[in-house]
Amino acid sequence: MPIKVYVLPDDDPTHIAFSKSVLKVFPYQLRSAWDRLVFSGTGEEPIMLKSEQQMRSVVGSTPGAIGYLSRSMIDDSVKEIPEN
Amino acid sequence: MIQLKKFLKIRNCFRVFSRFFVAGETNLFNAHNFIKIEVSLRLTDIIEIAYRLVAIRKPCFLLAACLLFCVFPERSGAAEKADDFQFHGFLTQGYFLTSDNKIFGESDSEGSFDFTEAGLNASWALNTDLRLAGQALFRRAGIGHEHDLEMDFALLDYTVSSASDYLLGVRLGRFKNPLGFYNDTRDVLFTRPTILLPQSIYLERTRSLSLSADGGLVYGEYRGELGNLSLELGAGMPRGNNLDTELAYFGSDYPGNTDSKLSYIGRLSYEHGTGKYRAAISSARADVRYDPKLLPPDDLPALKDIFVPVIFSVQYNGDKLSLTSEYAIRRIQENSLDNNYQANLDITGNSYYFQAEYRFREDWRGILRYDVLYNNRQDKSGKKYQALTGKPAFTQFAKDWTFGLRYYINSSFLVAAEYHYIDGTAWLPIQDNPDLDHLERRWHMFSLAASYRF
Repeated sequence: MPIKVYVLPDDDPTHIAFSKSVLKVFPYQLRSAWDRLVFSGTGEEPIMLKSEQQMRSVVGSTPGAIGYLSRSMIDDSVKEIPEN
Repeated sequence: MIQLKKFLKIRNCFRVFSRFFVAGETNLFNAHNFIKIEVSLRLTDIIEIAYRLVAIRKPCFLLAACLLFCVFPERSGAAEKADDFQFHGFLTQGYFLTSDNKIFGESDSEGSFDFTEAGLNASWALNTDLRLAGQALFRRAGIGHEHDLEMDFALLDYTVSSASDYLLGVRLGRFKNPLGFYNDTRDVLFTRPTILLPQSIYLERTRSLSLSADGGLVYGEYRGELGNLSLELGAGMPRGNNLDTELAYFGSDYPGNTDSKLSYIGRLSYEHGTGKYRAAISSARADVRYDPKLLPPDDLPALKDIFVPVIFSVQYNGDKLSLTSEYAIRRIQENSLDNNYQANLDITGNSYYFQAEYRFREDWRGILRYDVLYNNRQDKSGKKYQALTGKPAFTQFAKDWTFGLRYYINSSFLVAAEYHYIDGTAWLPIQDNPDLDHLERRWHMFSLAASYRF
């Protein structure tokens, strides 16, 4: 099954925290890598959602979806991937 | 070890992998696609209106910009799109004011607004391995480029083979030339550090040749614990119109025609796992022929020009600070194809820049750069050139100090300002400055730009 990647807006606090602490990259690096893909025709960027509520409902209802949420937002509709 | 691999896999999902993890089932007629088409029509209309406002009355640009800003305030609105279809675009309006010399129009009198860049692109994933992408580009950039409309890229991207640690694919059609860090997206203000790219490497003069090529490109990427290594190798016919090519190679407009032959391009890039360190070597071999219309001395003889640039690029990315440097060696070999005339030339130019970018806050960035270009590394001062041709020596080099500031109003909208102090005119667009006797060696340039993207 193809994986679909979902992200929150660049200035969203959860996006910033996830980028820095889990992915170990600064959000501006992700933005610049995605922009290079999009505007050179070499790839696509992840699908951006507006809020954590939307992230939970989209990831919870889309097969193959992957995204991130604050711990307090996690419920039974999504499956958690444990951090290392 | 297993944990590290898992970490790399998750991270890659969000960074580089995202390009081929796409929706499997394609249904053109689902609700998302209908929404998408509506959005695209509205956007093209608005960009058209915005451009007309700019064309009619210069101060209207601000109004046009506000219009865009109000209608599409945040890029997160793009979330409504279907998963297998992406649609993006940008619009930039610039203003250039120079103390002497001209760039992008009559910049030396009251300043010039004759600089606009707009692009619309679409990417459609047919399945997980096959993707179609294209971008239309509109550009105004001074004399000779009053309203260029072109297909910037149009390609079919096929992933031949992929796993969590490697990727192998091919792109067919019109592809962007992989050169240095910025050439691939040189017309998008959001992806370049300054309004005017460092001209030592990304010369406005050779722009039309370096944009994209029609042919094929193979690419491979390996992702390991030490970082990502990628290689792109392409062959194709470089684009470039006749006049721009003649100006770039021969310095003026001659009666005959130029013709691009099969050319080659390649880039090897390394990125440390987190993108903290990036490095690349890129090179090309561009083959251009000149077919004369008249006989010398009224025209040039038939010529073959082989242009081989080699670019070394390095970058450091910290939390607040990014440091970037690129160095290029550019060799041009010109040979007469007509036995009756000797016209052999072998010149190597070199160029480099050092750039520091500082993010004061998430939304404010400052930049400082020193950029140097020598047309001929054996005649850096241009004195030999002056003795030989009678033309000014300072047309053979350019040393540019740049200070820039940019403010991101949100992730879709930015404004940028920069100041350049330049010694030499080696990269000045020739069309804007046809008379070499009116050039000033030392000059100042101030520029403002606003940009929207979605």
